[in-house]
Amino acid sequence: MCENSTSAVATIIDRYAGDADMLIPMMQDVQSECGYLPQTELKELSGLLGVPLSQIYSVATFYSSFRLMPKGDHTIQLCMGTVCYLKGADKISEAIQKEFDLVPGSTSPDGKFTYSPINCVGACALAPVMVVDGEYHGGLEPGSAVKLLHKIAEAGPADQAEKKPAAKKKTAKKKAAKKKAAGSKKK
Amino acid sequence: MSTVGTKIESVKSLQDYREELLAGRDPATRCVRVCIGTGCTAKGSLAVLEQFRKAADEMPGDAEVVESKCTGCHGFCERGPIVVVDPGNVFYHGVQEEDVAEIWRETAIGGRVLERLLYEDDQTGKIATTPDEIPFYSAQKRIVLAHNGVIDPTRIEEYIAAGGYAGLTKTLDSMQPDDVIDEITRAGLRGRGGGGFLTGRKWRSARRADGEPKYVIANGDEGDPGAFMDRSLMEGDPHAVIEGMIIAGYAIGSSRGTIYVRNEYPLAVKHLTAAIEQARDLGLLGENILGSGHSFDVRINRGAGAFVCGESTALMASLEGRVGEPRAKYIHTVESGLHGKPSLLNNVETLANVPQIIFNGADWFASCGTEKSKGTKIFSLVGKVKNTGLVEVPMGMTLREIVYDVGGGIRDDKQFKAVQTGGPSGGCIPAEFLDEPVDFDRLTELGSMMGSGGMIVLDEDDCMVHVAKYFLQFLKAESCGKCTPCREGTAQMLEVLTRITKGKGREGDIPLLEGLGELLEDTALCALGKTAAYPVLSTVRRFREEYEAHIVEGRCPAKQCPGLFRYEINAEICNGCRLCAKRCPVDAITGEKKKPHKIVQEKCTNCGTCFDVCPFSSIMKV
Amino acid sequence: MPTVTIDDKPIEARLGETILQVARRAGVWIPTLCHHEALSSSASCRICVVEIDRGGWWQVVTSCNYPVRGDLTVRVNSERAIRGRRGVMQLLLARCPESKELRKLARRMGVDGTPYPKVTEAQRNCILCGLCVRVCEERIGASAISNAGRGVERAIAAPFRMPSDDCIGCGACAAICPVGTITVRTHEKEVEISPFKSRASLVRCSECGCPVGSELVKQALADRGGPKLVEILARRPICPQCKREKLAKELTVAVPSGNRGTSVRTT
Repeated sequence: MCENSTSAVATIIDRYAGDADMLIPMMQDVQSECGYLPQTELKELSGLLGVPLSQIYSVATFYSSFRLMPKGDHTIQLCMGTVCYLKGADKISEAIQKEFDLVPGSTSPDGKFTYSPINCVGACALAPVMVVDGEYHGGLEPGSAVKLLHKIAEAGPADQAEKKPAAKKKTAKKKAAKKKAAGSKKK
Repeated sequence: MSTVGTKIESVKSLQDYREELLAGRDPATRCVRVCIGTGCTAKGSLAVLEQFRKAADEMPGDAEVVESKCTGCHGFCERGPIVVVDPGNVFYHGVQEEDVAEIWRETAIGGRVLERLLYEDDQTGKIATTPDEIPFYSAQKRIVLAHNGVIDPTRIEEYIAAGGYAGLTKTLDSMQPDDVIDEITRAGLRGRGGGGFLTGRKWRSARRADGEPKYVIANGDEGDPGAFMDRSLMEGDPHAVIEGMIIAGYAIGSSRGTIYVRNEYPLAVKHLTAAIEQARDLGLLGENILGSGHSFDVRINRGAGAFVCGESTALMASLEGRVGEPRAKYIHTVESGLHGKPSLLNNVETLANVPQIIFNGADWFASCGTEKSKGTKIFSLVGKVKNTGLVEVPMGMTLREIVYDVGGGIRDDKQFKAVQTGGPSGGCIPAEFLDEPVDFDRLTELGSMMGSGGMIVLDEDDCMVHVAKYFLQFLKAESCGKCTPCREGTAQMLEVLTRITKGKGREGDIPLLEGLGELLEDTALCALGKTAAYPVLSTVRRFREEYEAHIVEGRCPAKQCPGLFRYEINAEICNGCRLCAKRCPVDAITGEKKKPHKIVQEKCTNCGTCFDVCPFSSIMKV
Repeated sequence: MPTVTIDDKPIEARLGETILQVARRAGVWIPTLCHHEALSSSASCRICVVEIDRGGWWQVVTSCNYPVRGDLTVRVNSERAIRGRRGVMQLLLARCPESKELRKLARRMGVDGTPYPKVTEAQRNCILCGLCVRVCEERIGASAISNAGRGVERAIAAPFRMPSDDCIGCGACAAICPVGTITVRTHEKEVEISPFKSRASLVRCSECGCPVGSELVKQALADRGGPKLVEILARRPICPQCKREKLAKELTVAVPSGNRGTSVRTT
């Protein structure tokens, strides 16, 4: 999954000058490069950093943004903030889970979607909000959410690696362009 | 990114630089400001901005004096994407890509106002050209949010030109650390993150605490669902947070700062990262700031998705690379925090208040607000209110003014039921208290709390048991699991609430919930656990009859809990379009085409699909 | 010297002592689960709560880690403190209905049963006191297990819920477990720590053939011990019984304190 990862882990550790305090940022970087936290990388991180693997595993399972399994082509983050919930996010969640055979935190059997309900994304004006591959979609209801996801699935996989925040705008543009290209190819 | 790139070595040079920036400005400069906060971005503002840049290329006009820039959140997220054109401060809302060419040609270059994009008050029918004419803005008092929507948060020059870092220069130029603490204390600033602890007192304890190094930590792990004040500040005015931290560092004798930002806020991380780099380039962060001898630098830690990390000891555990579990706080983090060293933890909004207090003085700040709650507070006003968004109002404004004047009242003219404040640890305030002033102490007296400033407006359609269940679901999922009462107690309470919302509540469930609530408050380890029952206790206290209706009569008065009300078709409205019958997953709707339909109650599963799809609103909840 | 008054009885205490230490010295019983003298405090089970006087108001605190910093008035057997401790016990009973040890403690506390249902299947019969995790990290130095997940779904697990390479099979976790959830199973040639599935090769007594311990423990001891210990360990393995009979005189060397609790149970 994660190529050239052996050197990658060492590079990541160097980025934080080997400071074990920065374990969480390092794990975030590993996930950003591999798409998830592979066992091999975590074992290497443990060995090089001198932090027990059990501590790393504990951190990986405690924080909800870490994944120990590869993610699907697209990541769905459904906002479960109060406003979204009151406006029917729970119904959307049910519909998505049923439609794509998902449970929270899992990847669909066809590998298309990884689904995670997340806490408030702070875009309450758009409630209910779903963030797919970093793009916000607001004002949804169960039917339109499912429809939107089918459309996204048809357009093909998003970038493999997670976008780094600093490069977000660029990749978003690229992705939009890609999507257009994919769409026109179909036609 | 900074155009200067050279370090500024003294207070005087920074002032000169600001004057230089201001002198270089043409007041007649025409400028299009596009909001790129998360709300507007989600509604497509990045595409709008791109269109403006394209328009500038294709139709240069006075290209030299017209610029389009991105700004932080304007607060009025409901109406995004928001575009403001200067001069004239012309406020357009709901701007789409196809509007851009016209705005550029007519307003930006031509100076003419496009009426169709202006805000129209749906009650008075009045059309507003500038933000000041819109009740949403005119009823606010924007001090902390003053820069939001005005300056480009990715350019330090704009912050400096707008008077930024003047609080810092005043600090370094003419104040001793104790003077700074005195000023903050006299201002009466209280922590904006939840507790409402006096900031000056906290700073004093941090200054007196023994141990080296000391840390300044900005808490941007805004976890309360429905609250996004800190997100907006970090995205829209990152330098204000950084400036507040440098001043705090000077006051307590610390040179190390950390901003802990929530994982769900990528744009905040991006803007803060850029701001830190630019501040370093100018010498506002780093060694010997402005020749003062004070050194300070800031790093960013992204949260990894755990609500409990908003709690101080858990946050520090997380900063040390560990699981975010709170520990017993018999010794305060101010004395023994990160690595057992003195650590000053302040909320992002608290820190953003600091530069202005220092620059304008404690008296200026204390002139606004109530006796024990000074200044303004940013609320995220969301839920069933017409104008959703971020609002900054003086402490002491009444709930009614906030909900009705700023918020424009309840959506679809429904009945106001309650406002939920203080996040998951807060409570619900019913209609009878709408005229109460909002400040730290009054909200606590009303059985709720200020918290970080979430304000969720609920209407007649919101079932209070359902609301309580939502918060318990949240807290159960976010409980770290360290201590028994919180880990097991939240799960048990959710169990009870779930059965009540399914109509399977039992006699004795209310006392059971109250008992668990008391147990959690007494025995849980951290504040998250101690207050975890508040959403339940507060709704039981104010809306006991709703709980009883569920338990005793098997009825949900708000008609929200499936199975505790029925769907029926109003035969007078139904025209037999068949849509509901087609979409019903269990074929429970019968009737001939073009004739009123009927729901077979025995088959109906209460899923609500028919209610959602009926184009004529002929489905009723009874 | 500060005076700690527990249920109206004044007791002299040392600064920095915990309320629990003072109470135990005075013969006042307070139940504990996650507390162990040899380990750092975690104050996570909350079964030891008491009330203290905070000058006008009474606060509920955990006695196991609340430090004496001056004169202190404590109520161990007040209505509120008892209600708190019993409430916590009822929650634990709902989680671990099968543990005999827990039910015994409950009875001593005057708790007959629990009004709550079982709400999780995350880990059978574990109260998540964390003693096993702490003993493994702090005394054994292996850090083979940790908390996995959070909230009510939390469990104690080895990394990736697979047998851990860091486990030396010492069985300290089993010995310290207050509810009998962790056990050491001996197989023909291996010891297995259940439920973590970690295994280590088994050393048997050269005299009688009964299990003595794990090969890895022997190595770990050799790594830490002085020359004399190494010498002893280099000899043929022998079980405690045979040891007592045959080598009593030589066994006067101190074993590092952290490994004293090591015991092996045959299942």
